[in-house]
Amino acid sequence: MTGYLYLLLLLGGIGCMLLLDRRFALFFWHDPAVATLITVVGTVLFLLWDIAGISAGVFLRGESSFASGVILAPEMPLEEPIFLVFLVLCTMVIFTGSLKLLAHASPSDLRVVSKR
Amino acid sequence: MSYPLLALAGVAIALLGFVVFTWRGLRRSLTVSSRHYVLAIGLTVLVLFVLTAIFDNIMIAAELFHYSPEHLHGVSIGLAPIEDFSYPLAGALLLPAMWIALQRGSEERRKDFLTLIVASRPVSWINTAFPFGAAYLLVAREIDWVWLLGVIYFLIPYNFAMYGINDVFDYASDFANPRKGGIEGALLAPRLHRPTLWIAAWSNVPFLLILAAAGGPSAWIALAISAFAVVAYSAAGLRFKERPFLDSITSSTHFVSPAVVGLILAGAQFGSSLILLLLAFFLWGMAAHAFGAIQDINPDREADIHSIATAIGAKATTRLALVLWTAAGILMLFVAWPGLLAAIITVPYLLNCAPYWSVSDENSASTNKAWRRFIALNYFSGFLVTLLLIVEWNQV
Repeated sequence: MTGYLYLLLLLGGIGCMLLLDRRFALFFWHDPAVATLITVVGTVLFLLWDIAGISAGVFLRGESSFASGVILAPEMPLEEPIFLVFLVLCTMVIFTGSLKLLAHASPSDLRVVSKR
Repeated sequence: MSYPLLALAGVAIALLGFVVFTWRGLRRSLTVSSRHYVLAIGLTVLVLFVLTAIFDNIMIAAELFHYSPEHLHGVSIGLAPIEDFSYPLAGALLLPAMWIALQRGSEERRKDFLTLIVASRPVSWINTAFPFGAAYLLVAREIDWVWLLGVIYFLIPYNFAMYGINDVFDYASDFANPRKGGIEGALLAPRLHRPTLWIAAWSNVPFLLILAAAGGPSAWIALAISAFAVVAYSAAGLRFKERPFLDSITSSTHFVSPAVVGLILAGAQFGSSLILLLLAFFLWGMAAHAFGAIQDINPDREADIHSIATAIGAKATTRLALVLWTAAGILMLFVAWPGLLAAIITVPYLLNCAPYWSVSDENSASTNKAWRRFIALNYFSGFLVTLLLIVEWNQV
């Protein structure tokens, strides 16, 4: 079963990102439509980048015992698109989380239009 | 192309997007100061770089992937080539900028999003993804990108288009029908009609083009029929759902065509067993649609909407559904082992529907109870079919 370790860790990572997202209303729990769009666009762009690297002969798949061995295309394992989804979520949770922390630390910096 | 050049090209594209979206976003956003925005992106880059330095090393050490050495610049952090840091850098530039330019995060938008999800009938997603995934897998006997793409397509965008288009063009009649608010679909407010059609188009066309590119002319025909059935069922002008008998045929096509597309893309040989099986599935689908139409006879007639059930009445439609399900079961008996066992699956459907053998038009709404059981039955049947497919898989 170690063959699915990498896949399970990735899915676990995605789960953790979504828990943070939910707890602090960061990304999907802030604007789900735009979050979906960014996740799809980000993953597709990263995939195209991967495909460019694979066709240029730069990226080579390993024979890891931690990978499922399911191959979507030459040098493209099943885990890769899932890793890219995780990378997008991780990026956006760190970014939106940082914004929240900064706003919390110095709220005077906010350009919120005051309600009169 | 070498990896340094590839990395630079990716970052350059991300940088371009960053400039455009940041310019748009910061002009628009009232809640984020530009100082916080830049600081947050800097923090994101920093954190992602640390994570990359750690986890890229672990992933390369675990032999998950490696690089052709002659394509690398040569500088690396441990095992991780310096070029690998282009991915988090590009992501941290482009994605937050898109977020700042597009996000609004109001309660109304969250509600609208949920409305659109419900409109695509999540309980039914599996009904179209499963036929494709199972058919493709059984023929190709391996998971590849076509399988993944097809499953994603028939899971979400396909259903979003099918039910979204339906709800937009059904708005007037749905309004008069209280049954459409729950698991069987949401009322779509008119202001959501345009976005629904746009999302349907943008989420379907790319998948259809890529899947078509993965197959030959027969796949193009199957995909075209499938997409046409999705649009023609409810779009103004065609409205096949209001043409008795054509409505059941089109509805069944919605569920059988994903399987046919999967078979063709996987390169199946269409022998007699396979054709019988598809025919049985098609009759099953027609019966399902016809039986589902009975519960709406009265509201449909009041709204002057035609269907197979309004045309021949509740009693005749129930009997037709029973005949179609029986015929599907008989056809399955002629399918090669273990497919013929699937004939048993029709029995619960017959038992569920049979009590309404003499249902009157006035009592047609009472069949809703059986319709709800039917939806639950589908999961049970899916389970049985999966067991049979596993038997079939191990037999070859």
